[in-house]
Amino acid sequence: MSKRTALIFGYNKYAHEIVTNLKDKYEYIKIFTLDEKEVDNAIVEIELFDLSDEWTEIHKDVDVENSMAFCVLEDNAQNIFLTISLRANFKDLRIIAIASNEESANKLKMAGANKVIPLVETTSDIIANMLEKPISNKILHSILYEESDLKIAQIKISNKSRFKDEQLMSIDWTRYNGIIVLSVMHEDMRGDFIYSSRAKHHIIQEGDILVVVGYEEDIKAFEKKIGSERYVNWSHWSW
Amino acid sequence: MLKRWILDFAYYLDTSKSYQKRKRFFYNILENDKNKYKKYVDYFMMTLIFISVSVLIREVKFHVNDYLMFFSNYIISIIFLIEYLLRFWVNSSISKIIVARAEHDTFLHRDVNLYKAFKEIARVKLLYMLSPKAIIDLLAIMPFFHELRLLRVFILFRVFKLFRYAKSFQTLSSVLASKKFEFLTLGIFASVVIFVSSVLIYVMEGNNPNSPINTLYEAIYWSIVTISTVGYGDITPVSHEGRFVAMLVITAGIAVLAFTTSLFVSAFTEKLDEIKETKTIEDVSKLKRFYLICGYEQVAKEVAKKLYANGNDIIVLDGDLERFEAAKKDGYIALNYNPGSVESYSKLNIHMDKQVKSILCLREDDIENVYSALTIRSFNKEVPILSLLMSDANRKKLNFAGINNIVYPQELVGLITKELIGKPVAFEVIHELRSENTEVSIDELGITQRIVDNFTIVKELGNKDFRVVLLGIYKHKSDRFYFNPLDDTILEVGDYLLVVGYQIFILEFEKYLHTKVRNV
Repeated sequence: MSKRTALIFGYNKYAHEIVTNLKDKYEYIKIFTLDEKEVDNAIVEIELFDLSDEWTEIHKDVDVENSMAFCVLEDNAQNIFLTISLRANFKDLRIIAIASNEESANKLKMAGANKVIPLVETTSDIIANMLEKPISNKILHSILYEESDLKIAQIKISNKSRFKDEQLMSIDWTRYNGIIVLSVMHEDMRGDFIYSSRAKHHIIQEGDILVVVGYEEDIKAFEKKIGSERYVNWSHWSW
Repeated sequence: MLKRWILDFAYYLDTSKSYQKRKRFFYNILENDKNKYKKYVDYFMMTLIFISVSVLIREVKFHVNDYLMFFSNYIISIIFLIEYLLRFWVNSSISKIIVARAEHDTFLHRDVNLYKAFKEIARVKLLYMLSPKAIIDLLAIMPFFHELRLLRVFILFRVFKLFRYAKSFQTLSSVLASKKFEFLTLGIFASVVIFVSSVLIYVMEGNNPNSPINTLYEAIYWSIVTISTVGYGDITPVSHEGRFVAMLVITAGIAVLAFTTSLFVSAFTEKLDEIKETKTIEDVSKLKRFYLICGYEQVAKEVAKKLYANGNDIIVLDGDLERFEAAKKDGYIALNYNPGSVESYSKLNIHMDKQVKSILCLREDDIENVYSALTIRSFNKEVPILSLLMSDANRKKLNFAGINNIVYPQELVGLITKELIGKPVAFEVIHELRSENTEVSIDELGITQRIVDNFTIVKELGNKDFRVVLLGIYKHKSDRFYFNPLDDTILEVGDYLLVVGYQIFILEFEKYLHTKVRNV
């Protein structure tokens, strides 16, 4: 029977961090390596793979549509080849890859990765923010990584929602029940900042997603009031 | 009795704060290149020099206004005399020498030998007076006695005084001084050739009635003109012997010219890096606030780019020549110094607490980062240090080295993937807010006294009119963040507003906060 699995390609520090953060979220976590020696010496169970694999085992065991692949090989060329090989075999598999520089990030996107984490870019963004905007960095970090009671949530407008068919700007979002609405995602999956000109004339429709910040209780109350609820769906996530 | 008075007076001067303060003031404006007022004194002196040289030139053929003549001959000379005396005074301390001698003799239970102290004073002061710069200073005062016509030409010595004020002249002389031995050899060689050829040509042509060379002076003149390859042609040898000597001198002249040129070129090439480095250090010391990046690798490159784009000054230190060149090529002030050496920072001559915003240890190697951080901490405990961490096993070591902020890229990957799985859209929103390249961003607006004077509570801010979302207020006093603050929250100096919006609207909003005047 196929299972919801996190497939991690590459046995290194990145893989270790990903496993630590995802172990509660997936039924199974499979780690693959190219190096035979690592299979013998590893403290966790890892499997050997080859870049020219046909991935028959994955076809058999993994629920590809609800699984996620992490390409974290340290060699850029190998990582790109792995990504293209996975995409060629699994059209619906969601692939996250790391890239050491902007150039390989572009190639990984071309190779079919859904999301690329450019390591240098991300690290330098964090450092620059820590130095230049220390307060906002601290607050955003605590919101995003749930270190405080303040949370960020996505709320999908349902058929029964109170705001359905209302104009976005006619509602005083900023002061609504202790929460702040930051942006709205439309059906075409383009996100708009709440005060953007596009959002200004937007009529809220079923399927729109609101990105809100607030305390857990306030978010819950907001969900109840407007008759919508929190929503996570990877299939709506595309680049 | 006199001895007692002299000793008491020397001790008085040595301990007098007001005397030392005055002396230090004059020393700084005359001799200390780092003093911000020195350059104005230098400009003033240079102007005086140009005025007196202009007067000298004008005076050759035209009448010069009497007042201007008076100014040039007396006022400027008196100013130069005062300058000379001040330099003479601040150059060394008479009282210090006497006190040192008194202390020395008292320690050895001897009578204080003032004779030795005066001898030392005379030696030190004479040494100063005989230095080339002091001699030029003295000669520049001479035009004061302008009635002696010959002394007028001493005005030209004032031009030499420019050496003292213009740094590039000093650089030039220091470059040439580095090749002292070579120039001396060249000088001796040229002198010998000039002497021998002058004597020879005089012997060969002196008695020839057709030859223009009649005196030894004319022979020396001819030799110098020929050896320098100038060859005016006003004096030429006429005899075969004389022409043979001319051929020898011309050949020697080519050698002297080639040697001189190569000496100049090699002296400058050797000193070029040093000159550039001195200039860079000077530039750094003039900067008010900057980030100091230790190690220029991939992450450092990106961080420098972002901080620079925000209008910050960046200084890069890297001991590796290739990386140092890369930083320079990217347009940053870079020094090929090892960040792990205390000497590098003392050479930099910067005030860490005042000038450095933060030190960033961004080598992709924990050992190097710890080493640099410890080096900095060995002489400064306060300056904030941020470092990259490449292996989690070394986190404690980085903390122990006194690093204030640690960034561990691998951990970021873990956290990012977790967020991507759970809240992909929210993650993207936050990522967009953090990124510098998007239109919508998050910003911090500091609350100043002026803002508090015009806006007392949150409700009055009117951020909505500027299409700006007020995410919250960071209260400086309580060190707490208040999300979505109530309308009646009081604004205080030192607080920060955390706002989200289009950059252009945030700027407008900020401008409004700073310029609005409360309607009374």
